[in-house]
Amino acid sequence: MDPILLRLLLVAGLLVVVLAAGWLVQRRDGTVRHGGDARLRGDHLAAVGLDLSDGAAGAVLLGSPTCTPCDSVKRVLGDIEVERAGFRWVYADAADHLALADEHKVMRVPTLFMVAADGRIMARSSGVPRHDDLRRVLDAGGDLGTAA
Amino acid sequence: MPQNLATDAEGRLLIDVRGPRFGAAITTVVLATALVVQGPVGIGLVAWQWAVFGVATFAGLAWSPYGQVFRWFKRRFDLGAPPETELEGPPRFAQTCGFAVTTVGLVLFAGGLTVAGWVAAGIVLVLSMLLATTGLCIGCELYLFGQRLQARHGARDADNGGVA
Repeated sequence: MDPILLRLLLVAGLLVVVLAAGWLVQRRDGTVRHGGDARLRGDHLAAVGLDLSDGAAGAVLLGSPTCTPCDSVKRVLGDIEVERAGFRWVYADAADHLALADEHKVMRVPTLFMVAADGRIMARSSGVPRHDDLRRVLDAGGDLGTAA
Repeated sequence: MPQNLATDAEGRLLIDVRGPRFGAAITTVVLATALVVQGPVGIGLVAWQWAVFGVATFAGLAWSPYGQVFRWFKRRFDLGAPPETELEGPPRFAQTCGFAVTTVGLVLFAGGLTVAGWVAAGIVLVLSMLLATTGLCIGCELYLFGQRLQARHGARDADNGGVA
């Protein structure tokens, strides 16, 4: 076969692989997962400044100053805060809270923890979560069923 | 700076989030063409791309040639205000990664290791393809990773015991 044709096929093949890999990564991005049995310790909650003592649910968003998708997550949280009385959230720079990030294996920013009043992590996500997924977590009190 | 560009409160450059993706599309076309034609023309295209990465790395994204093309394109076709802006740090670091790998490629070409040189060019091609088609910027993620490592070291020096 003509080498030029062969290389064209190579470039086309690379494009297919890249598109498939990108699609897989993006499908995972922002997925709201069950928090397992993990909970945020009281001292960590205090360190990021989230006070849930009145029994409401809240959220902790870990970000970094140069993280663009973090702003999108902040907007989502702002919308939820307007809809849901009592719901509150805090933003914290992951670099300032490494103990928390290490304990919960935070690999990238933005990472969001949806936290029940007792500190239990109802759900977590990396990337930009969808409004409806967060609403579902709050409605179900963290019981995401089999979908998670 | 070539034009009046937006900056944040600390004077750091803010860029249109669509810019890097647009630039990556041009990079993809340039490097894909280079990989297909190869020979002196192909190596010339890799050298051109190396120079583009170099300008963005050392002079900043305000001077990036593809950034200039993007700004012209935006005005010509009236693309409107940026949907979002971002700090230039991560995308500039990604350009630095591109510069480093294309430098390796050019050194390999110069040393007669043509196939290895094209593998290096191919890596940059794949990463810019990924950014252009899906918006995923591996270089930017690496920058965040590096920053976190740095902060971790800083924290360890300041407070021995804060981090396991």
